[in-house]
Amino acid sequence: MTGLGMVCEHLSFAYQAGEQRVLALRDISLSLAPGSSTALLGPAGSGKSTLLLILRGLLDPDEGEVRLGGVGMADRGYAEAQRSVGLVFQQAERQLFAATCEEDVAFGPRQLGWPPQQVQEAVAEAMERVGLSPALFARRHPYALSGGEQRRLALAGVLAMRPRALLLDEPFVGLDPAARRDLSAILRGLATSGETVVLATHEVDRAWELCEQRVVLAGGGLAASGAWDFAAGGVELLESHGLQVPTLVELWRRLGRPLAHPPRTATAAAEALA
Amino acid sequence: MRAAVAQYYPAASWLHALDARAKIVAVGVLSVALFTRDAFISLAFYSGAATIGLIVSRVPARWFWRALKPVLWLVALTFLVQILFAPGEAFFRFGPIRLSWRGLELAGYLSLRLIVLVLFGSLLTLTTSPVALTDGLAWLGRPLRRLRVPTEELALMVTIALRFIPTLLAELETIMRAQRARGADFSHGGPLRRARALVPVLVPLFVLSFRRADDLALAMEARCYVPGVQRSRLHPLRASWRDGVLLVAVAGIVVMAVAAGTLW
Repeated sequence: MTGLGMVCEHLSFAYQAGEQRVLALRDISLSLAPGSSTALLGPAGSGKSTLLLILRGLLDPDEGEVRLGGVGMADRGYAEAQRSVGLVFQQAERQLFAATCEEDVAFGPRQLGWPPQQVQEAVAEAMERVGLSPALFARRHPYALSGGEQRRLALAGVLAMRPRALLLDEPFVGLDPAARRDLSAILRGLATSGETVVLATHEVDRAWELCEQRVVLAGGGLAASGAWDFAAGGVELLESHGLQVPTLVELWRRLGRPLAHPPRTATAAAEALA
Repeated sequence: MRAAVAQYYPAASWLHALDARAKIVAVGVLSVALFTRDAFISLAFYSGAATIGLIVSRVPARWFWRALKPVLWLVALTFLVQILFAPGEAFFRFGPIRLSWRGLELAGYLSLRLIVLVLFGSLLTLTTSPVALTDGLAWLGRPLRRLRVPTEELALMVTIALRFIPTLLAELETIMRAQRARGADFSHGGPLRRARALVPVLVPLFVLSFRRADDLALAMEARCYVPGVQRSRLHPLRASWRDGVLLVAVAGIVVMAVAAGTLW
């Protein structure tokens, strides 16, 4: 699967709240390379979810341009390009509705009008990818699953549409440690399988472990984008926007070690320290 | 997003400051009186009262217009029916269509009456917060407690229901977006197809609503809510001389309107 490159140019968006307009995004320009994995960081209300909705085409920007795989908003084929962007909402398990897991995962592919055989394959593949084996889970009722399983099922519902880019909005919220670990493993797999991944989250540790670069939003504006750069002001950048510094980076800083390549996992840290 | 029912416009006006009970009684009396005499002169009094209310309320006119808009087709229909099927001597005929002065008079009267009725209702809901409104209704419904009608509980239920309308609308929007991201289409196809397209939205919405209701019930119990027990209020209803003035004024308007209508 080849990832989808996504480019935003001077995006602005405001919500209409009663009589007032509330600016959610202002002049956002960024470029996400095909197959890259990006953490979207920023305090609550900084515009993360809005940006994801615009990238998926569920909101139209007031100003600016979005290009998906080189296709601009006014071009033919933009709707098609949008369909290759998958968006996993916050608490995605809240959108489960079908009587069986299989049916729910099949909803998206069926909406795309795929032939039954292809739908079957996509459903089985997606359920495997999130660790819900079709043999065990296909016929079960979604509401009979645990919270973590429901979250993964909802993710399968998006993966079944075979997106070339995957946007995730706070996928870890409300999960217990075991479910977080499972989800982390799945996301690690996604990040290396070719899809472009954007992970909006407050969990800086997970973001640092899973994503090769980061975008920081603050108050609707772009504070930073590109590779993590803890050696060159990256720590201060996060702190100045009220964000947490990844635990392992903080550890490296306190140990007085160089911040050019801090470890991303506990294992890597242990090896470096041994 | 805003609900069409029970909209409240907060403002510092004389009408807003009045006791909810007085306003409910006043609007109730005026609405009933509106239907007692079929005369333009009576209607003139009620329209006058509504106009004064509109000005005193300090609510922008477009809010009243918003409340009126959905009823306008009903007004138009009433007007048409009255014109076409009214009794009286015709002064104009064209095929089955016949117009009479009496018909025109009735049509104008009934349409105007509907408009004034909606204005009275809007004056009440726009100037009274939902909480005050339900408290007022609960107080006025107290005699029903003797018949074992749980008025306090009903009032609380209405308050909670009103409180959750915006929450549910926000929830609805999120779910619709999420299903749209999965390819759902709510705006194409025939009525059957559109109704079926709503299944992926309504099932989660119901499940979430029940879960939320369950949580709320537990949370209320955890904070010692016991149904049927007399509770005190944070903002007790307090009547003042102003409420007396309102009721006397309304009584005066009704007496004059009825008298004028009878004598006309």
